[in-house]
Amino acid sequence: MNIDYSQEAPLIAGRLKLAQIEELIAQPMDTKPDRKYFIALSISVTALLIGAVSLGLTFYYGIGLWGNNQPVGWAFEIVNFVFWVGIGHAGTLISAILFLLRQKWRTGIARFAEAMTIFAVMCAGIFPAIHTGRPWMDGYLLPYPNQHGLWVNFTSPLLWDVFAVTTYFTVSLVFWYVGLIPDFGSMRDRTTSKVKKTIYSIFSLGWRHSNRHWSHYEKAYMLLAGFATPLVLSVHTIVSFDFAVSIIPGWHTTIFPPYFVAGAIFSGFAMVVTVLIFVRKIFDLQNIITIDHLEKMNKVILLTGMMVGYAYSMEFFISWYSGVQAESFLFLSRAFGPYAWAYWIMISCNVLVPQLFWFRKIRRSIPLMLIIVIFVNVGMWFERFVITVTSLNRDFLPSSWAYFTPTMYDIGLLIGSFGFFFTLVILFTKSLPVVSIAEIKAVADGAQPTHHGGANHE
Amino acid sequence: MSEQNNGLNSANEDNTPHPNYWRSFESLYKNPVVIEAKAHEFKEGVTDDFSPSGLSSISRRKFIALLGASAALAGASCTDYRDKGEIVPYNVKPEEITVGKPNYYASTCTACPNACGILIKTREGRPIKVDGNPDHPVNQGKICAKGQANILNLYDPERIKSPQKNSNLAFNEISWKDLDNEVITALALAGNNEIALISHTITSPTMLKVIEEFKAKYPATKLYSYELFNDSIKNSAWRKTYGSGNFPLLKWDEAKIILSLESDFLGTEGNKVETSRMYSENRDVDNKKFTRLYCVDSSLTITGINSDYRLHVRPEAQLEFVLSLTKEIVKKGNITSTINTSAYDLNNFAKKYNLDSKILNYIVSDLIANKGKSIITAGNSLPENVHIAVNLLNDALGNKNLYRTNTSSLSLVEHSTIEEFEALVKKMNAGSVAVLINIDCNPVYHFAEDLGFKEALAKVPLSITLTERLNETSAVTNYALPLNHNFESWGDAKVRTNVISLQQPVIAPIYKTRQKESIFLTWISGKTETFTEYLYLQYLKNNWEKNIYPTLNSKISFDKFWLGALHDGNVKTSSSTVLYSSADSGSFDSSQAEITNPQGFALIIKENYSLGDGRFAHNGWLQELPHPVSKATWDNYAALSEKTCTELGLKDNDLIEISVENRKLILPVFMQAGTADNVIVVESGFGRTNSGTVASDVGFNVNSFISAKSTLSPWIYSNARITKTGDKYLVATTQEHHAFDDPLVQDLHIIRKIIQEGTVAEYLKNPSFTKENNEVHLTSVSSPYSYNGVKWGMAIDLNKCTGCGDCVVACDVENNIPVVGKDQVLKSREMQWLRIDRYYSGSPDNPKVSVQPMLCQHCDQAPCENVCPVVATTHSPDGLNQMTYNRCVGTRYCSNNCPYKVRRFNFYNFRDHFRDSYQENPILALMHNPEVTVRSRGVMEKCTFCVQRISEARADATHLKRNLKGSDVTTACQDSCGSNAIYFGDINDKESEFYKYRNHELGYYVLEELNVKPNVTYIAKLRNIHSEEV
Repeated sequence: MNIDYSQEAPLIAGRLKLAQIEELIAQPMDTKPDRKYFIALSISVTALLIGAVSLGLTFYYGIGLWGNNQPVGWAFEIVNFVFWVGIGHAGTLISAILFLLRQKWRTGIARFAEAMTIFAVMCAGIFPAIHTGRPWMDGYLLPYPNQHGLWVNFTSPLLWDVFAVTTYFTVSLVFWYVGLIPDFGSMRDRTTSKVKKTIYSIFSLGWRHSNRHWSHYEKAYMLLAGFATPLVLSVHTIVSFDFAVSIIPGWHTTIFPPYFVAGAIFSGFAMVVTVLIFVRKIFDLQNIITIDHLEKMNKVILLTGMMVGYAYSMEFFISWYSGVQAESFLFLSRAFGPYAWAYWIMISCNVLVPQLFWFRKIRRSIPLMLIIVIFVNVGMWFERFVITVTSLNRDFLPSSWAYFTPTMYDIGLLIGSFGFFFTLVILFTKSLPVVSIAEIKAVADGAQPTHHGGANHE
Repeated sequence: MSEQNNGLNSANEDNTPHPNYWRSFESLYKNPVVIEAKAHEFKEGVTDDFSPSGLSSISRRKFIALLGASAALAGASCTDYRDKGEIVPYNVKPEEITVGKPNYYASTCTACPNACGILIKTREGRPIKVDGNPDHPVNQGKICAKGQANILNLYDPERIKSPQKNSNLAFNEISWKDLDNEVITALALAGNNEIALISHTITSPTMLKVIEEFKAKYPATKLYSYELFNDSIKNSAWRKTYGSGNFPLLKWDEAKIILSLESDFLGTEGNKVETSRMYSENRDVDNKKFTRLYCVDSSLTITGINSDYRLHVRPEAQLEFVLSLTKEIVKKGNITSTINTSAYDLNNFAKKYNLDSKILNYIVSDLIANKGKSIITAGNSLPENVHIAVNLLNDALGNKNLYRTNTSSLSLVEHSTIEEFEALVKKMNAGSVAVLINIDCNPVYHFAEDLGFKEALAKVPLSITLTERLNETSAVTNYALPLNHNFESWGDAKVRTNVISLQQPVIAPIYKTRQKESIFLTWISGKTETFTEYLYLQYLKNNWEKNIYPTLNSKISFDKFWLGALHDGNVKTSSSTVLYSSADSGSFDSSQAEITNPQGFALIIKENYSLGDGRFAHNGWLQELPHPVSKATWDNYAALSEKTCTELGLKDNDLIEISVENRKLILPVFMQAGTADNVIVVESGFGRTNSGTVASDVGFNVNSFISAKSTLSPWIYSNARITKTGDKYLVATTQEHHAFDDPLVQDLHIIRKIIQEGTVAEYLKNPSFTKENNEVHLTSVSSPYSYNGVKWGMAIDLNKCTGCGDCVVACDVENNIPVVGKDQVLKSREMQWLRIDRYYSGSPDNPKVSVQPMLCQHCDQAPCENVCPVVATTHSPDGLNQMTYNRCVGTRYCSNNCPYKVRRFNFYNFRDHFRDSYQENPILALMHNPEVTVRSRGVMEKCTFCVQRISEARADATHLKRNLKGSDVTTACQDSCGSNAIYFGDINDKESEFYKYRNHELGYYVLEELNVKPNVTYIAKLRNIHSEEV
């Protein structure tokens, strides 16, 4: 292979002019949605409605409609919650951590990944709110002064969750919005529609592309990136505490925080790749979201996949090494008990399948990578299922073991959460620039002064 | 106004120039008295009582404002805002009622013919709980699950509320007056045609007198009585051996060795409450007194799971077993027996049925070594010859010592024989029965189909069913007359020679019902006006005064005696010592003693532990009480051994058709460990039809197997056949059953030390053996809270617990626990706060069974408490783990984190969810314990250690100005435990009885290594076997 390592590979292919870049990215917003768009939207809205109906019935009759039982108090609702929080992690990692690490290749995918973070956290946020037996009493989870003198229990990880997730959502949203301001400015300048102009004007906060604006913006963005970075690690750490702080075998595990964070990045990247493959094709962004981008992401997937694989084996080892009977039994039961099918789906999807990314050809093959990342998505959902359900279903007293079987309402809510997510994604692609116009221009060939004479050197 | 101004301004009058207006001559001529009076608004003394500080601070304006606001609020909010119905305070307060304080009344339970004494707790005039009457000599303060759940029968929304006339398969309401007239006319016209009365066992001497008077008035009357499950065979065998009387009561508490042949004396036979108490006194770690129980039976029963050794054989082999055993004992034990046993041999028997000959040898040597201190008891279902052989063997071993001589059971009326019923059916078919009255019984459901009773009933011109709720029989009779419930009725009962019980009502009849005796008395008088509310009370009192009181040689006047007897609920009578004559050695019919080789499947029909013969099938609490062995609810099934299932290619929940001769029924398979091979065990009480919302179409009616022409006994049939149907039917159990031979899950309860057991021999050698094997060194990072006052704890003696489940129902009643239904049990969402865990170890062929009541352990370091985000579950300073329902949002995190999984979640509003809101019926609200919150959808709940009782005891102690003691409180489960296995009290009270068990050398905590510091101590079970190893 002939790769010139003496200089960085270009981040944008096709030698696009700056105006072309803007044209390309802004195109979806300038044109009317076509038939395909509506087909895609109707599918995702249908899924969303399935979820809405399931939720409505759940509110009316009670969560008895789900498959949860005694001892499996948490099942799909918490699995979905952890899954979606995990999906959210890629965005912040790409936009904040890679920004701080000066990884310029992030620019092509950061906006999209961030948007996905926000949508995923919105999906995730629904579940803790609806999983309670009396959702109309959810306000009790917030520490507000009241005449009963009641306060929340700060020793409960569930409460930490409330704070971790809301903080994460808020910071991500602000970070995302700040990143959008220059693009709102560009959109305002481009559009001819009065309505759009008003909206873009409001959101661009009077952005005039001035030098002062740029220097303030860059600083603010950097600060927010610094602020968001610890959240990437903290949110899933705290989510993992929901399990790790308990005393149930299979949950009570000190490896959970790093394991959950690695898993979150793993699943988040897989989801970003899944969606980007379609977006770059449909919106003709192959030159901006290049195959190199995808390959880099696949490398991250390979790495984090091995990290979760390590965690799986370490859990097994520690359960044996600890000498705690209930603990070692639980892990054997995961692998060979009634939920062995779920366990082996998890292992094959998360550990075995990503190994194919060792091959460069596969890393750069769109169809193969699509198949692999979908496997990873499935595998990561099952990872949370295995952790949540199999630990509860066979805990200390064999007398109270019971098998959990999901009902149509459980599945309806899962489908609904995907519908919600993709509806938001689809609406996003047509209403906001899916790639940061300003940042892409900044990393385009010739955009920055160089010692080699910039973009024009041959 | 002017007048007032005049008064007010009068002081200034002289200074202000204005015309001299005058109103009187006194005023005109300036009378000084009048002038003086004008200066004061009020006359002297009028304002003496007026003091501004005593006035309400509410101003007139404020008052008007409040008035307006209250009117507006009342108008707006009270229209239909959570209308809970009218609450009216007592206009005239009944003297005996203090609002908020319960009253207790002694009465007699009529749930089964054992007639136990009960104490009914009423609050503001409505019964809410039943306990045993501590003054009753038989049940001594305890009562079984059926007796506990009887309270639900009283408030059952589906009781018939007025007399019903059945015309064209539809019931129409009819007034008592019209009904009485119609029936009296029909009775008078009966002439020589028979008037048949069918009843269950008659236990009331006064009721019997009523029937005798009825007979006198209508001479064509004939009384029939029956029980589906009875001890007739046992008693008739007894009379063949000893000439007279009933099978004696046994001294279970003195037997060193008990050999039970197909007998479930701890479950369904005899008075289980009394037997459990006496038996458990004989498994006492405190006095180191241990009986040894051998069971030789066909299926796992409560008795079987408590046995030290168990062998399983099919029921037809029992005769061969008794005779082989007799021969062996005669040979080795130097005793004589008159039965010719030459054809028998214990070794051959062991080989033929693949039994452990070591255990058989133990039985032989133990029975010989404990002559006069052992007892052999045969089950009610076994054929007469087996009973005679057992009687003779007991006699030969000198075990008559263990027959109780101070009391014996007695039957006021013998049950009718099958021949009598056949004759009745013949007469009915011939049209020579004019009137047939079913007295609170259900013969259409109970009688063998080949008796043809149901068809013959159609030919009776007038048929009447006296019943509390519609059933199979009322569906085909002309009238259904509503009866008073147990707690609405007067009565008496005599089932033992040494005691007569009195039954008194604790609530006026809720509906237009009458008690059966009053109905008969009205018909005897021939006038409908005879009936009054007190008709039977007067009759009963009269009968006692004339016939019973004189026989008691009481030294007090009758009125005093009567009130005393009502208060106590029973009167002890002096009974002469029961004498046991010598056995008639010729009573054994050796012509029927050939060795048989039973082929095919044996079918055995058993009484269901909770539903009895089906008369409790409408009771949701009992339907949902898990079977003590299989843990199945809401269904019966065909229990088969694992080997039989494998041979037939059957799995759990497969539907099979069982046929006996030409009688067929389709049932689901339940692979029951410990069942004898080639035996099908089915339980009766299910498959009710026309019996209301709860009972109808639950399970399968196995009475259809019963034949009037049975050869062995009505409950045992040979040569049953099994055909696979290929269909499935799910049986709901509360405990998942997993494969025995799966090495992953085998014996986990022992490995995890959930169940700790030992042997008596081991214990006697080293009393603290459990502690030495289980050294646990636990350290805590936090310093423990110090409990200085009362700290509540519980101890459960697993040596005494039989696993019957009576405590579960007691808890249901005390704590307003809803019924969830089969669909929810299938989803593992049962709501009982207390459960009995059952564990098997060993082989599925003949497993060792351990039971363990499991409830909230009220851990000092409760894992549920610190994970609740809203502080809805907290710890009290007296050591209770509390639930605050109002604060709970239902995250279920507490339940997930509970290692004992004792928390229960309201996935629905279960009262609304079960059977189309059946439990939302307003009448059921009367049943609830007012001291316990009725929980709704979405909240977590669990055992509270009956905190309402603790609060009540604390309030009483404060009132009496003394300190609260541990012994002031008993929990509902403890009160109900027939074998006294549950102790409750103050952990810090070193003087208490409870303290002894809390710190017992055999005591252990479940999952002690988690260091959650539970407050429930379990006393390790000791098995009385021949080795030191378990």
